[in-house]
Amino acid sequence: MKELPDHHLSRMPDNTAIKQQNLPAHQLYFSAKVVFSIFVGTGIFCLCMGVILLLSAKNTKKIEINYTKICANCAEFRENAFNFDKECNCSIAFYLPEKMEGNVYMYYKLYGFYQNLYRYSQSRSNNQLVGEDIKDVEDCAPFKVSHNGTPIAPCGAIANSMFNDTIVLSYKHTSSMSVKVPMLKNELTWWTDKYVKFQNPRFTDLSSKFVGSTKPPNWPKPIYDLDKSNPDNNGFLNDDFIVWMRTAAFPTFKKLYRRLYRIHYFTEGLPAGNYSFNISYNFPVTSFGGQKSVVLSTLTWCGGGCFFLGVAYTVTGALTWLASFVLMAIHLTWKRKKVTYQEQSHAL
Amino acid sequence: MLGSPMGLLGPCWVRWHCVRKSTPQCGSVVEEERRARANDREYNEKFQYASNCIKTSKYNILTFLPVNLFEQFQEVANTYFLFLLILQLIPQISSLSWFTTIVPLVLVLTITAVKDATDDYFRHKSDNQVNNRQSQVLINGILQQEQWMNVCVGDIIKLENNQFVAADLLLLSSSEPHGLCYIETAELDGETNMKVRQAIPVTSELGDISKLAKFDGEVICEPPNNKLDKFSGTLYWKENKFSLSNQNMLLRGCVLRNTEWCFGLVIFAGPDTKLMQNSGRTKFKRTSIDRLMNTLVLWIFGFLVCMGVILAIGNAIWEHEVGTRFQVYLPWDEAVDSAFFSGFLSFWSYIIILNTVVPISLYVSVEVIRLGHSYFINWDKKMFCMKKRTPAEARTTTLNEELGQVEYIFSDKTGTLTQNIMVFNKCSINGHSYGDVFDVLGHKAELGERPEPIDFSFNPLADKKFLFWDPSLLEAVKMGDPHTHEFFRLLSLCHTVMSEEKNEGELYYKAQSPDEGALVTAARNFGFVFRSRTPKTITVHEMGIAITYQLLAILDFNNIRKRMSVIVRNPEGKIRLYCKGADTLLLDRLHQSTHELLSATMDHLNEYAGEGLRTLVLAYKDLDDDYYEEWAERRLQASLAQDNREDRLASIYEEVESDMMLLGATAIEDKLQQGVPETIALLTLANIKIWVLTGDKQETAVNIGYSCKMLTDDMTEVFIVTGHTVLEVREELRKAREKMMDSSRAVGNGCSYQEKLSSSRLASVLDAVAGEYALVINGHSLAHALEADMELEFLETACACKAVICCRVTPLQKAQVVELVKKYKKAVTLAIGDGANDVSMIKTAHIGVGISGQEGIQAVLASDYSFSQFKFLQRLLLVHGRWSYLRMCKFLCYFFYKNFAFTMVHFWFGFFCGFSAQTVYDQYFITLYNIVYTSLPVLAMGVFDQDVPEQRSMEYPKLYEPGQLNLLFNKREFFICIAQGIYTSVLMFFIPYGVFSEATRDDGTQLADYQSFAVTVATSLVIVVSVQIGLDTGYWTAINHFFIWGSLAVYFAILFAMHSNGLFDMFPNQFRFVGNAQNTLAQPTVWLTIVLTTVVCIMPVVAFRFLRLNLKPDLSDTVRYTQLVRKKQKAQHRCMRRVGRTGSRRSGYAFSHQEGFGELIMSGKNMRLSSLALSSFTTRSSSSWIESLRRKKSDSASSPGGVAEKPLKG
Repeated sequence: MKELPDHHLSRMPDNTAIKQQNLPAHQLYFSAKVVFSIFVGTGIFCLCMGVILLLSAKNTKKIEINYTKICANCAEFRENAFNFDKECNCSIAFYLPEKMEGNVYMYYKLYGFYQNLYRYSQSRSNNQLVGEDIKDVEDCAPFKVSHNGTPIAPCGAIANSMFNDTIVLSYKHTSSMSVKVPMLKNELTWWTDKYVKFQNPRFTDLSSKFVGSTKPPNWPKPIYDLDKSNPDNNGFLNDDFIVWMRTAAFPTFKKLYRRLYRIHYFTEGLPAGNYSFNISYNFPVTSFGGQKSVVLSTLTWCGGGCFFLGVAYTVTGALTWLASFVLMAIHLTWKRKKVTYQEQSHAL
Repeated sequence: MLGSPMGLLGPCWVRWHCVRKSTPQCGSVVEEERRARANDREYNEKFQYASNCIKTSKYNILTFLPVNLFEQFQEVANTYFLFLLILQLIPQISSLSWFTTIVPLVLVLTITAVKDATDDYFRHKSDNQVNNRQSQVLINGILQQEQWMNVCVGDIIKLENNQFVAADLLLLSSSEPHGLCYIETAELDGETNMKVRQAIPVTSELGDISKLAKFDGEVICEPPNNKLDKFSGTLYWKENKFSLSNQNMLLRGCVLRNTEWCFGLVIFAGPDTKLMQNSGRTKFKRTSIDRLMNTLVLWIFGFLVCMGVILAIGNAIWEHEVGTRFQVYLPWDEAVDSAFFSGFLSFWSYIIILNTVVPISLYVSVEVIRLGHSYFINWDKKMFCMKKRTPAEARTTTLNEELGQVEYIFSDKTGTLTQNIMVFNKCSINGHSYGDVFDVLGHKAELGERPEPIDFSFNPLADKKFLFWDPSLLEAVKMGDPHTHEFFRLLSLCHTVMSEEKNEGELYYKAQSPDEGALVTAARNFGFVFRSRTPKTITVHEMGIAITYQLLAILDFNNIRKRMSVIVRNPEGKIRLYCKGADTLLLDRLHQSTHELLSATMDHLNEYAGEGLRTLVLAYKDLDDDYYEEWAERRLQASLAQDNREDRLASIYEEVESDMMLLGATAIEDKLQQGVPETIALLTLANIKIWVLTGDKQETAVNIGYSCKMLTDDMTEVFIVTGHTVLEVREELRKAREKMMDSSRAVGNGCSYQEKLSSSRLASVLDAVAGEYALVINGHSLAHALEADMELEFLETACACKAVICCRVTPLQKAQVVELVKKYKKAVTLAIGDGANDVSMIKTAHIGVGISGQEGIQAVLASDYSFSQFKFLQRLLLVHGRWSYLRMCKFLCYFFYKNFAFTMVHFWFGFFCGFSAQTVYDQYFITLYNIVYTSLPVLAMGVFDQDVPEQRSMEYPKLYEPGQLNLLFNKREFFICIAQGIYTSVLMFFIPYGVFSEATRDDGTQLADYQSFAVTVATSLVIVVSVQIGLDTGYWTAINHFFIWGSLAVYFAILFAMHSNGLFDMFPNQFRFVGNAQNTLAQPTVWLTIVLTTVVCIMPVVAFRFLRLNLKPDLSDTVRYTQLVRKKQKAQHRCMRRVGRTGSRRSGYAFSHQEGFGELIMSGKNMRLSSLALSSFTTRSSSSWIESLRRKKSDSASSPGGVAEKPLKG
């Protein structure tokens, strides 16, 4: 072998595990033991999870009031385009039978509003919203510029269709006295949205930041005038605006509107009793067959509304257990046949 | 990668004053006859004949890009993706960025182009190698070294011994007397015995260059064709016409042997040579999985269109019902004026976003996996031949999984099954058998455990290469045993071998068949050295003493006699006839007195035959002078007779060859390649049918059939079809079928043959045949059997037999047989061969395997796989092929699954987003899902997976069956995968939907925003498909671990990077998902959703797998189980039962011998004048021997051979 020239030897394949396909490896085999332990283990986990989730879901309190049609003729009123700048208020009284303990959150919920339409969800300009270039309305069709050609700020279909009802919750402390429930309108958004994704243009005076742009056609007031009470909550940094701009995945969605400010009567949460919503009804939904409602809800560790998860986990756990019993039965009855089969195959 | 520009441009462009000629196909006129004038290039250039440059490559450096791209876009898939890309550029319908398609498309095109370029580079290299071989060309009266490619039609070239013939030549003259020259045609037809070619007398005198330079004869002959043994043409020279035949031609691919030099006139060059004309066109081979995949892709495409239509209708309805009213918030696009048109646009949008059901990465992944498998074949040490230093090589990388589905193997014989070495192995002398070696304990020793071979040093003339192990034979010779002496004397006298002694004691034998060579060499080593011969004498050194025998007559071999005899007079004046021949014929012609010896010899013969050795019986007879004189006179009369000369001679020979005394028998081993019988047995167990197609003679082929255990004595019957006419062949086939039917009917399968035929279903009427049969068919019968009206009958008969041997077949017939099986059996065929005569078969079969390490490389060049020993075939098929198939199937199943799971989510989401072609995932996820997140684990599985270790697949050949039956990936399996994918996609969408529609985040804010939903679904998808690949991976190596965990890690890394603040700050419009990953994935609800989805998607799979393992385990499961259970126990392997060694079959006369040599010798024409005593040169037989030799040749060519190579369609 030694006297052979090198190029002959070089044709000899290397004797490495990878080239000879004998890498050390672990063979996967569905042995009965492994499968049963997987099934039983998964079953236990799912059942436990299910029970925990169902219990927590039971602890959360939730009240939803659909006010699409309740508010007298506001719905019809809004369908008429000429009334866009006229106010329409209504008040809805309701009774809270049990107190809502802990943090209470107020949501508005829309039915049949398609924030996930492709063209709708694309119709925004992040470049503009991050305050870089107020005139960048590239992606905002069909709401890029107003009739006279000035770029819209905030541009796009999403911003234009922003939910603009105001909802105020009042608590009838006594039959005569009614208290406005204190609500917080900050921290309604993700930190990244508020501090990264949305930025006002860098000018000292808020209104001058938006010079050269115009308000979206549906809006009664410009972007820098959204919250008169708090100057910091204006422009692109307005919490309600940011919440709206985070488009929903499904046509039925609820978005956080206010958080309960736990002072005075409300340190424990919302006490049971008579309440009323005073709503300034601005957002038309009946025109496209939608509905809207207001939701009050408390939370647990898994957020609100983990009922579905709880049920799903319980059912899965139960099915897994059932399946493991069935498999066990089948395995035991067929074991004999399998052994004989093997003997046959050995005789091959 | 592409090499030097010169490399690509190729030598054909750097043409010297030869004019390039367009190939006949594209030439303007079809060549009707060929004219070539010697030494007149200007004249020959007029005809623009093809030069001797061959070109198998496809591209050069300039045409590469356009041609390659054009070819690639002929692939349906690539065109489809190009179409998608164009669609995506239309903003109205595109809901995905253009890069989601272009990135993978460019990747795919590049990888394929690089591969094609590499392949072509190697083709250029081999072309160059062949084209640059040197040959000596006579130019302007001087011999010049010239490259092959520069040889032109009409050139005179000089060939030397052992050189390859460069083009199809007309032999002009040679170093041997009378313009004879010997060639070996193994490259052409696989026959290794030497053949004689002869120049026509007028040119044979043109021995020196000056005469040749003046030669200006013109040849007019037939146009280029692929008939290897036909040539007709005329030489016009000095106002005379000389007719030319194949006997005067040297064809490209032959090798000159035993001839010092010869001159030839180039008639056909390059692509026009018979060799190249026979090699057929290279077809692009596709595997059945490829074809299935293409069908499935079309189905999926149909499915895609259906989904598109459903969603488009949905869109139209939605826009009509809801969308029109929603225009307050989202007015329709300017171009859209109706709900119907919107639906139309959304159809195209959905075609774009749902196109990932046919992922472009499918094709490139398949290629990558196949490439990996090819490398495993190249790297396999167990397929490396130490002796020839050649590794196995996968020359095509696209056929690997087909290796796991082979049902028919078509094998060449010479050089493939056999080594083409004849070895004198055993002999029986006077009732005593020699040749077996016994070890100390008295057992027959096997090869490898043998002691040293015996020492022939006592004999200075011995051939060093000759090995013999049984010392008792040499002892017998040394003891002076008269029988033994007579035995070897016979061997040294009775043959037609020519000797050559270049230096004193250095003997070279020119044997016309290797068998004879082996026998004479054996005699030489045992002290009976055939030294030299003249037409009238034979000189033999008997134990060191030179003895000259007078050669009185050679009773030559022919196919009917199957024996040859010599009549010699020894120095004492006694006349003796020595005869050797086939036992069947010779045993009847023995003297009564040898009866006892006969039975002992018969026993030995049976024993030898059972071992697959070629046997010959040797006998002698003393003749008295008077009888001989009288007999010789009659013989002379007969040979001069005008009519019935053959018959008369035959009867005269018959007369003298009677009442002979038996001497013994020889057994020659046509050395099989190592491990051939075992390989054939194993492959047969794996349900692979093996057909041997050989150019060799029937006897030789049948003999090999026995020695490699294809034919056994246990077989019920071996049918031999040798009919010369259509009717005969049909009758023989019918009889064979009837016999098989009869026996199976006797078993109880009572259904008449007529009924079955009338039902006209090929569907294996004869599948249920009881008993084992074999079919041997001759080339000339095969020609009829392959005609359109009989091919089905033939196929049906042949497929009912366990073994099929076709002998005397032409290269084209080999291809036709393969084609026939391919056409009607829908089975995967593999052809294996080593010579140029196998090229067409190799190219026709689904898989072509070339035996490398031989002299010729034509077969290897045409093949898809090459290795140097037949036995590697078992490993190629049972290990590599099986694994490749398994891996490819698992890969495809998983691939379709993962893409359906991925894509169908969009479909469900369509119902919740107004059918607006909104994607569920981020577009980066869509781009990267197939090429980054899920590609490597499945590739790792596709490359490395193993179900059972390699040893097991050899131990249980039945493991090969799923591939043949196509069980692992077929339409049913495909639908199961698709169903699983759809099931997964349903859960993948509706579980998060259920959770998200209610839940909020733990800080009270909205959970159900689009981006969080996208991230949740994407994450659970990646996790589910990763768990699934974990379950599918049967063989977890470190690489699999790395890729699976790595993919998950990469997913999260990229997710967080894409959603990071930094990227958003740079490109706010591109990276809209800022902050999503950390906000969404921090939610317990999201993780609970992911876990639930995973559990629900995976548990049923686990349950089903477990159930299948319990209820319907396949063999590989069982093997794996056994292995697991018996890890500690040493499992008792069932070794393959050794096939019984004994048999009662009689061998035929197995010489690959031709008649006519006896006459040649006796006439003295082939001897050098110098070595001849001029005085003994008799005028009587002046040149008649050549005439008769030629006549015999043409007879044999026109009767059986002529039918065989009748132009066959195709």
